[in-house]
Amino acid sequence: MGMQGGGGGGLQSEINVTPMVDIMLVLLIIFMVVTPFLQQGITVPIPRDLKNPDEDQAINKETSVIVSVVCRPPDAPQCTPESTEVYLGKKKVNMDDLKAQVEKALSTKKEEDKIVYVKSGVNVNYGEVVKVINAVREKGIDKIGLVADKKKGGAAAKG
Amino acid sequence: MAMATGGGNRAVPYINVTPLIDVLLVLLIIFMVVTPLKPSRFKADIPTQRDPNEDISQLKPNPLTLVVTIGQDLQLKLNQDVMGSVNDTSALASTLQQTFQQRTAQKAYKAGMETAAMNVPENQRGQFIEKTVFVKAPRALKYGDVVKVIDAIKGAGASPVGLQVDDLP
Repeated sequence: MGMQGGGGGGLQSEINVTPMVDIMLVLLIIFMVVTPFLQQGITVPIPRDLKNPDEDQAINKETSVIVSVVCRPPDAPQCTPESTEVYLGKKKVNMDDLKAQVEKALSTKKEEDKIVYVKSGVNVNYGEVVKVINAVREKGIDKIGLVADKKKGGAAAKG
Repeated sequence: MAMATGGGNRAVPYINVTPLIDVLLVLLIIFMVVTPLKPSRFKADIPTQRDPNEDISQLKPNPLTLVVTIGQDLQLKLNQDVMGSVNDTSALASTLQQTFQQRTAQKAYKAGMETAAMNVPENQRGQFIEKTVFVKAPRALKYGDVVKVIDAIKGAGASPVGLQVDDLP
């Protein structure tokens, strides 16, 4: 750091970029570390590059209910029901816990805000997602949000 | 940073803003990168649990109901008509779009919404047109394929999208 601009006669005319690069690298590392914590729930290979999902900032809110359905390992080409795991937030749950905890988490919310976000891997069997849906609808919830990634710069279709 | 100007004893009367600008530039770049990562989702309706004592024989089927069925072989059906496959949803999307246009022209409003639609100006009645589409997919299908179909349905203007969860193959 702190390069002395030549104690001798000649002035140094170059900009010292070393501190700037230092700061950039540090911030880059900080954000690389922090980014996985910004999302709610666990990391799931959700459907990507879709054209028409609606933006919803509530997905990243701490209070929203995120149910993740994921295969072990997450990128397995074929997923069997036995290797599928269900997480509520960051905790692994079974179906009975899921029902009770979803009900508890949504009990304080207004009727129109009662929505369960489902983050499911693309390789998961639809039947497993249906099981989760069946569990939450037993608790009187009739809206779910299927979390999907919007294609960057993709214009929404008309209609 | 701290570039010592000359070796003399005079104090430099300038604030060194270079580190500040460095930090600001970096923050700017970070926000430019992070902003496109907006979370998005498809909203889907699911049927609530029905009271088992309710007499469902009294319920009338809606003649405007649209059901998209995905077959085991990834074939798509809109009601009874075959509409391409999961990998090519363009036929389905264009048919749905045409259907909704026809309904707008014919003023096919949602059941029970006819009077509500009459009370608003002509150009705002779109929300009352029956555009409900149900999706029925077999359990063995991959979730990714189902979402692809929902994407196409949503793109055709359907709202709401409902997921059928009973009696799936």
